[in-house]
Amino acid sequence: MRFALDDQPVDYVDGDSVAVAVLRAGQHPQHGGTLCLTGDCGNCSADVDGVPFTRTCLTPARPGLRVRRHPAVGAPPLRLDPPANPVTSPSQPEVRVQRVHADVAVIGAGTSGTAAAEEARTAGRDVLVLDGDAGDDVVGVYPGPMVVVRRDDHVLHVHAHDVVIATGAAELHPVCPGNMLRGILTAGAADLLRARGVDLGRTATIDLADLARFDGADGRVTAVVRHDGTSEPCDTAIVTAATRAPRDLLARMVDDPRVRVVGPAAQRFDLPPAPVDGVVCPCSKITVEDLQGVWDKGFQHIELVKRAALCGTGTCQGGVCMPHLRAFVTDRSGEPAAPFTGRPASRQLTIAEAAADVHLDAFRRTALHHEHLALGAQMDRFGGWWRPWHYGDAMREYWAVREGVSLGDVSTLGKMIVTGPDVVEALERLYPTTIADIRPGRSRYVLLLNERGHVIDDGMVCREDEHRFVLTFTSGGAASAEAWVRDWVETWNLDVRIMDRTVSLGAINVTGPLAGELLRRVGVEEPPRFLQHRHLSVAGVDCHVMRLSFTGEASFELHHPVAHSVELWRALMEAGRDLNVVPHGLQALFALRLEKGHVIIGMDTELDTTPRRIGMEWAVKMDKPYFVGRTSLGRTEPLPDHRRLFGYTMEGPAPVEGAPISVGNRIVGHVTSSFTSPATGRAVMLGWQKHTPFADTVTIDGRTATVTPVPFYDPEGSRARA
Amino acid sequence: MNEFVETLLSLTWHEPRSSYDVVIIGGGGHGLATAYYLATRHGITNVAVVEADYIGSGNSGRNTTIIRSNYGIPESIRFYRHSQVLYDRLEDETGCWIMHATKGLIWLAHTESAMRAERARCQLNNAMGVETVLVDPVEIKRLCPQIDLSGGGRYPVLGASYHVPASTARHDRVVWAYAQGAMERGVHVLQQTTVTGLLRDGDRVVGVRTNRGDIAAGTVMSAVGGDVTTIASYAGVRLPVRTHPLQAFVTNGYSQGFGPIVSDTELLCYISQTARGQMLIGHEYDREQSYSRQSSFQFLQANAVKMSYLLPFVRNLRILRQWTGRCDVSADFSPIMGFTGVDGFVITTGWGTWGFKAIPAGGEQMAELIATGRTPEMIAPFALDRFAADHSMADQGSTGTR
Repeated sequence: MRFALDDQPVDYVDGDSVAVAVLRAGQHPQHGGTLCLTGDCGNCSADVDGVPFTRTCLTPARPGLRVRRHPAVGAPPLRLDPPANPVTSPSQPEVRVQRVHADVAVIGAGTSGTAAAEEARTAGRDVLVLDGDAGDDVVGVYPGPMVVVRRDDHVLHVHAHDVVIATGAAELHPVCPGNMLRGILTAGAADLLRARGVDLGRTATIDLADLARFDGADGRVTAVVRHDGTSEPCDTAIVTAATRAPRDLLARMVDDPRVRVVGPAAQRFDLPPAPVDGVVCPCSKITVEDLQGVWDKGFQHIELVKRAALCGTGTCQGGVCMPHLRAFVTDRSGEPAAPFTGRPASRQLTIAEAAADVHLDAFRRTALHHEHLALGAQMDRFGGWWRPWHYGDAMREYWAVREGVSLGDVSTLGKMIVTGPDVVEALERLYPTTIADIRPGRSRYVLLLNERGHVIDDGMVCREDEHRFVLTFTSGGAASAEAWVRDWVETWNLDVRIMDRTVSLGAINVTGPLAGELLRRVGVEEPPRFLQHRHLSVAGVDCHVMRLSFTGEASFELHHPVAHSVELWRALMEAGRDLNVVPHGLQALFALRLEKGHVIIGMDTELDTTPRRIGMEWAVKMDKPYFVGRTSLGRTEPLPDHRRLFGYTMEGPAPVEGAPISVGNRIVGHVTSSFTSPATGRAVMLGWQKHTPFADTVTIDGRTATVTPVPFYDPEGSRARA
Repeated sequence: MNEFVETLLSLTWHEPRSSYDVVIIGGGGHGLATAYYLATRHGITNVAVVEADYIGSGNSGRNTTIIRSNYGIPESIRFYRHSQVLYDRLEDETGCWIMHATKGLIWLAHTESAMRAERARCQLNNAMGVETVLVDPVEIKRLCPQIDLSGGGRYPVLGASYHVPASTARHDRVVWAYAQGAMERGVHVLQQTTVTGLLRDGDRVVGVRTNRGDIAAGTVMSAVGGDVTTIASYAGVRLPVRTHPLQAFVTNGYSQGFGPIVSDTELLCYISQTARGQMLIGHEYDREQSYSRQSSFQFLQANAVKMSYLLPFVRNLRILRQWTGRCDVSADFSPIMGFTGVDGFVITTGWGTWGFKAIPAGGEQMAELIATGRTPEMIAPFALDRFAADHSMADQGSTGTR
């Protein structure tokens, strides 16, 4: 059985890891360095099947694997071509995730792990043992506690009540001249290779305390040299040590009382002698000379040494260098140096493995989505929904509204029915506007404020009878509207029932001077008058028809059960065929409303916009005893204010939205909305001034613009009422 | 010695005194930069910077090192642009190699509303002399060939604003550059010194109480991150600041091959390649408020899936290390710099996710404020009393948060 190492075939024996097979073939998975073959170091990591930094000692050899050594100098290449599509390419399988729950997860199946598992089982607890030798590669212990484990063909997410870290202790790597040669093994690695029947040639075993240096030729060790000057020739050097290092990275990365560390992983071992020469951190090739260099420059704290020399910041995360680095700092400072901070990941998972089985929120579509696509709509996401931006020609849509009739899908509006004996009281408190004097069948425009007095939404309040109202909210505000209303009502303990109908009702806006005519053709003999609303049958569909106007023309919003949206839409399109009815998208709608000077909350407003900053004090009745935001407005309204949203007009084409507004050389604000308005023959804009005194004449786009009262178009509002 | 070590300048440590003209709490970028500018611009060197852990151990060593000025309000653009200019000069001025590299920043937009915001950003930036240009998908592909313009079929790219002068620098080295320059001129930096209270003389703050004894000071400045509300409370100052964890991660190091900084206005994640070849990936701060510095797996999952949509090549990269800092977020998502209403106690805070880029300008301006006793014009809009005056500096859309 064979796989490829740097495009050359390598034979392996069943049960070999890639590293063992590579060593069996007389090679090294990198270009040198001590090998432990248990995952503690990064010295065997290589590119496996296009993924660099894969620990080959933990990778079972398989036929057809493509193993590529990292370059001897420099880093492996950043492959910028995307990996193959996981759906179509068997070499890029979608990463599977398995989630398991356990009373106790024990990491490590050695003596202490086995004892901890046994103790928990005896106590009647459900125990999961994660065993590195069985292929459980633990990435991290996260708050929860949650343990993330890489396995050969999937990622395991373990949710446990308690976690026991029993990862044991690691063998020390030698730090001395020549320690990056090939042919150096820890004692454990040598045992493993012998057990696998790998010929180690002539071996020399040496204790770390005696080791002065390795001699080598052609990058391979040829002899070990002791402090006493004696030397022993060898093909393979085997390094033993009187002490070990706790495998405590997992323990150091989490601070949770339900995570316990037992056995050697929790033990304090003697540090090795301070290193004198050689590579301390093989991952980043940091030498003792480097450590001395930063120490001499005043970086005299283990974290500063780490950061300045970049020691311990590679694949093994300090697995190899920690005891030597601590020994170095302890020696130089004369005080015992604690380990540097432990951080995930203990074992490097790929971004694909981290992303596995994660799904982001879906974007919502209205019931008319496919109607829009069939009509050639360019869709855009707005307020969490897919909505038509235009249907090919926004200006044609604009003119249809101004001169004919047009349909808009406003199903995304927030819609809520509120009823009950206390409903008027509740709405009086929710809205800064007077509610009690709205007569049944009438409606009123309202702002919604938060406790800080900032405008968070707007909409309509439609009264049906004494104790029943329909509220509307903007598409963007709809998602949080129900919780907002419900929570306040509960807070006040008022007897009000709330039903959010945002997704159960569709809504179509029929707008334009011919809107009334179109409605007559689908059975509406007497449409409601301006700011009135009625329940009517439209083309056989039960609708709540609200007459208002965002576009500036006569507009009828038809709220209806969403199951009938397509039927109603098609009936209206069909009935309006000879009126040249066309649908309009958001782009045209934004232009139409701008000519009317209507503010879009979130687009023209900012995080801290109060009603007076957008010239809408008229929608706030400070003489009401209470409404949400009143206390804050009571404080801030008497303060001098330096911000105001104004309407502007100027000759020529509209400037880009966002264009700065200047007075003299000073930028005082910016344009929030702009449109070259055919209806008025001028550029019309909304925009901020944030310095006082407010100017009547400003400069935008190098031209003079004049502050102009809104609406720019049909200021008397006769068209909307027609 | 490798080049990283060779190019470091030496830090000069001093034995602490019992009294200084100025004591700065917090040995991060802002604290050390203020000390540096006090020494270099105003000749004030009887200064101590007290640091609870080691210098740069807080957010200065935990950020994603992006330096940009593509903000949405003139006051911020002016300030951050000035900071960029100071960064550009920092290596020459201090002689410290901070691995400063100009890369350009692509802010991707996936919706018409996002395009609208980026169009506005370009307009205002250009008017303020900051080069930020609107780019279409073809240009984006040229600047960053690795981008999947379909956004994984889910987040189609409509365009982007491209902030030309955006750069990165090695965060630790910025801290050390300022530390070295300040210490060389006689500023004392006291590590492992935790402030446990402020010394008061009547209404005035006259020093700090620490685990290593009291230190008298003419002026005390707080430049701490994370624990700022505690420090301010010692002076009886309330701050409109809340603290959220902010997480990031790096992959293993690969050869250089990814030029720009890419950020996403909707997914709120960003990526660049460090001088060491690691892909550095960050995200908006955690929604929950916390002082914790523990990293979560949920963060890794969310970020990994978003980056896989935008830049499919990252799927095969290995995640080396995660970490977490603490963001102090003010009520209007802008910093708070200046006087506090308590004599002898000034503050620089509210640095949220945007503190690293502000280190030079923040330090320079606070040094001027301390030295002259007057608020410099550039940071006047960011004074603490703006909240009481209802004059906030709201610009959340420029902060990569929501």
